[in-house]
Formats: sequence, C-alpha cells, structure tokens
Amino acid sequence: MDTRAILDHQFTVAAYTITWTIQLGYLAWLAFKWRAQRREAARNSRNPR
Amino acid sequence: MKKAAIGLYAALTVALMVWGFYQAIYVAPEEQTMHEVQRIFYYHVPSAMVAFLFFAISLAGCIGFLAFRRNRPDWAQASDAWALAGAEVGVVFCTVVLITGPLWGRRAWGIWWTWDARLTTTLVLWLIYVSYLLLRRFAAGPQMQTLAAVLGIFGALDVPIVYMSNRWWRTQHPAPVFGGGPDSGIKDPAMLAAFGWNVLAWLAWGILILALRYHVERQHQKFAAQEAQDALDA
Repeated sequence: MDTRAILDHQFTVAAYTITWTIQLGYLAWLAFKWRAQRREAARNSRNPR
Repeated sequence: MKKAAIGLYAALTVALMVWGFYQAIYVAPEEQTMHEVQRIFYYHVPSAMVAFLFFAISLAGCIGFLAFRRNRPDWAQASDAWALAGAEVGVVFCTVVLITGPLWGRRAWGIWWTWDARLTTTLVLWLIYVSYLLLRRFAAGPQMQTLAAVLGIFGALDVPIVYMSNRWWRTQHPAPVFGGGPDSGIKDPAMLAAFGWNVLAWLAWGILILALRYHVERQHQKFAAQEAQDALDA
C-alpha cells in the first residue's frame, strides 16, 4: 500500500468511528437521562411532598 | 406487546446498520478518482438527509406549539416535545455531517474547511439549532417555550438555503447527488444500493432515537407539571 492509500484508509476509518461514537454516545446519554428520570419519579411516588 | 414491537424495531435497525456498513465498505466498488475516502459519502450524505428531515419535524413542532399554546395545552406540550426532539437529534446528525465532511475534504481538496456557501450555511444551521438547545437548557420562565419555538422556525428557514446553496452559487462542495441536472445521480448500481441501504439504516436509527427523546421529554413535562401542582397544593 502506498502512503496515499494508507491515509485514505485512516481518514475513512476515522469518519466511520467518529460517526458511531457520536451516535452511540448520544444514545447512552439519552438512556442515562431516562433512567435518572424514572428513578426520580419512583422516589417521588414513595415520598410525596 | 408494545415492548416486543419496540424490541423488534430496534433489532431490525441494528441489522440494517450492519448491512449498510457491509454494503458501504465491502460491496460498493472503489471510486476511481477519490479511491477509498469516497466511502465517507455513505455516512455523510444520509446523515445530512436525516438531519434535514428532523429539522422539518422540529419546525412542525414549533408551529404546532405556537398554534395550540392558548387553546390546546396538551397538544402544545406534545408539539413542543416533538420540536425539541427533532432539533436535538437533528443537531446530532448535523454534527456528524460537519465532522465527516472535513475529513473527506482534507483528502479530496487538501484542506479541512473552506468558507463556501454549502459549508457555511450548514455551519450556520448547526449554530442556530445549538443556540435553540442552549436557550431551552438555560432560559427559564413561561416565555421560554415560545421564544424557542420562534427560534426553531428561524432555524428551519436555513434548511432550504443549505439544500439549494450548491445550486444557487458556485461552490467547492460537490454538485448535488440527486436533482442537480442531467449529470447528477449515482451511476453505479452497487454504489446506489450501498447509498440506499445506508439512507434506510440511518433513517431507522434516527427514528428510534427521536422516539426515545420524545418519550423522555414527555416524561419530563409530566414530572414538571406534577411538581408545579405539588408546590401549589403545599
């Protein structure tokens, strides 16, 4: 493989990896937020003000 | 039943993502001038298409909120949740577009960025929707949703400008893939199939996270309303 092909490959891998990282990171953040909300709802229903 | 349907949809989405990846990397032939780096296109363009669609959903939500806020509070809150979900997921996809584009540009043009019309209008679109999300995060008070809805409508006005930018102005960005004249379109059937599968896969993925974001926001609205009611009762 020449240098150009190696660089092309690295840039393609970077683009695909960054895309997946952003999407899965957002999904994880959303799941975390959802779980935190459910916990808070359960705590509030056990201890109403 | 509902849980099974969601699980089935999620499984189908993951299968589509894997299939789309396989098509883009292993099945689609290498482009003759740009070589391997052209494969970034299979993630870049579908992400842009899904971002535009979700900004349109956000626009509908913003209009719905403004239309229903006085006489149909429940509908207005649901519209507001769609507006927020569409904007937030749209920003996620737009971020992917703004990162994968320069990665391709560095190899194809030799530069990471240029202030041409397509790139600049896309960056402006991203900035408008990020400011929409910041407004929603940090502003307080009864007018926040109304202000956000107005900003969301202004943001959506940039979508057709981004879409038309490489038709209206001479840009360094490649010509439109579709609807850009007799020479536009993907000629190779294997490339077209890889592109189509990835559009389908990212659309399915986007709908999944959009629905989840909408659900989380509706839940948040219910808790906020309950807390307000409790405070009044106390």
